[in-house]
Amino acid sequence: MSLTRHYRRLLLAYPRAYRRERGEELLGLLLDTTPPGRTRPTVTGAVDLVRAGLRCRLGRPASRTVGVWAVLTALICGLFTAALASRLAWKTSRPQPDRAEAAAIFAEAFPGHRLDDDVATSPALFVYYNNPVTVDSLRGLLLGDGGEYQEGSAGGAAAGREPTSDTLTTAEQRLRAAGWRVYAPTTTDLQTCAAPPCDPQETETVLVARRGDTVFRATFNDPTLYNSYLYFTVQRAAPPLVLPVAALAGLVGGVLAWLVFAWASRRTEGRRGTGLLLGFALFLWWAPALATTTSLVPHHLGEPHPTWHPLWEWLGQPTFSLLFLIGAGCALVLLAIALAPRKDPRPLTVSVG
Amino acid sequence: MREPTFLILTALATGPRHGYGIIQEVTVLSDRRVTLLPGTLYTALDRLTAQGLVEPDREEVVDGRLRRYYRLTPGGLAALESETARLRQLATAAETRLRALRPRTT
Repeated sequence: MSLTRHYRRLLLAYPRAYRRERGEELLGLLLDTTPPGRTRPTVTGAVDLVRAGLRCRLGRPASRTVGVWAVLTALICGLFTAALASRLAWKTSRPQPDRAEAAAIFAEAFPGHRLDDDVATSPALFVYYNNPVTVDSLRGLLLGDGGEYQEGSAGGAAAGREPTSDTLTTAEQRLRAAGWRVYAPTTTDLQTCAAPPCDPQETETVLVARRGDTVFRATFNDPTLYNSYLYFTVQRAAPPLVLPVAALAGLVGGVLAWLVFAWASRRTEGRRGTGLLLGFALFLWWAPALATTTSLVPHHLGEPHPTWHPLWEWLGQPTFSLLFLIGAGCALVLLAIALAPRKDPRPLTVSVG
Repeated sequence: MREPTFLILTALATGPRHGYGIIQEVTVLSDRRVTLLPGTLYTALDRLTAQGLVEPDREEVVDGRLRRYYRLTPGGLAALESETARLRQLATAAETRLRALRPRTT
């Protein structure tokens, strides 16, 4: 491949209109600055050209912050795309455990304990008020009550009095023997009174284990304060496909968002109010994500998680879906403004000398 | 004003230059400390054009290669004069203090 073709290929980093107007001039300069005998651009020169081309795509050449806005937009859109893709990849999971599977696991972990008849199961992988998401429930889910959308599970409680005092130790041993990966139990002081320290001090011990695609979680409470001394749930772990699908979709979504941002940025250059609208949209998208991540990190570090919370929960979705929708509305308005016909605000004019 | 920007404006102070001419002049002005790459130069030229400090002058074709010349605008000249005065004031202040540090010989 000739040097000229190498350079033309690198110039693809610039937007088409810019290449049409300045491409030959830039190519001439590149050839002028290349020492004789070279057949390929240097790595430094190639990186500089691509970096400058990508910057040029963002338009607004006098702006020092447009790159930051582009990265923030690409990042959050990439994360949203990854979250959506991960939800689709969750469809490869087996259904949530049914009553029989939950009862069998309970009997395996807690021999001699009696399972209460009231074992709850979920009709879908993810449920909204323990019902499958339907068109009718979408309105409530999207308009302010999205926090009720969560992974389904099967679970129940032990009935009667605790037969022995070594329930936790026995459960750990039996689960390990049955092939479960058992995590170290964690005990948390529950600040249930208005002014700590509470008397009596209420604690909660959680035992978590995983085998294959099933996660088991048992919670030990003070039986004098709760109806049962032991509650448990079993649910599916994230399928193996979730991570690669989310990573790939996030990358594609981020790149596409960057390109759309760049196009819209060039098209809306000089139009008042667009920066404010973009800032508002990004605030509505980023604020729930940052706030939720800040609260989820200590929770994740505080107790074992054989499977991570779904990505959309880290982004504050669909709990704050209303904010997301308003932000999406702002983004659509920006795209509509970008689509509107306009005069070229800054044609490159040359006086013939 | 960053150093490459200052050098580009300075390179154009004596008259219009094309991209290659600006790169060569900046290398000379900076005593080879600063060598502008084409991508960086055009990013800077686009910014300076958008800020109204530089404008295209004319075009010519040499050996089949298109060359576009750029010149300073009155605003660009004023910005260069202002920055030069600022740098001169800083350099003078620094020299005054450095002179005070030197041991007296008389």
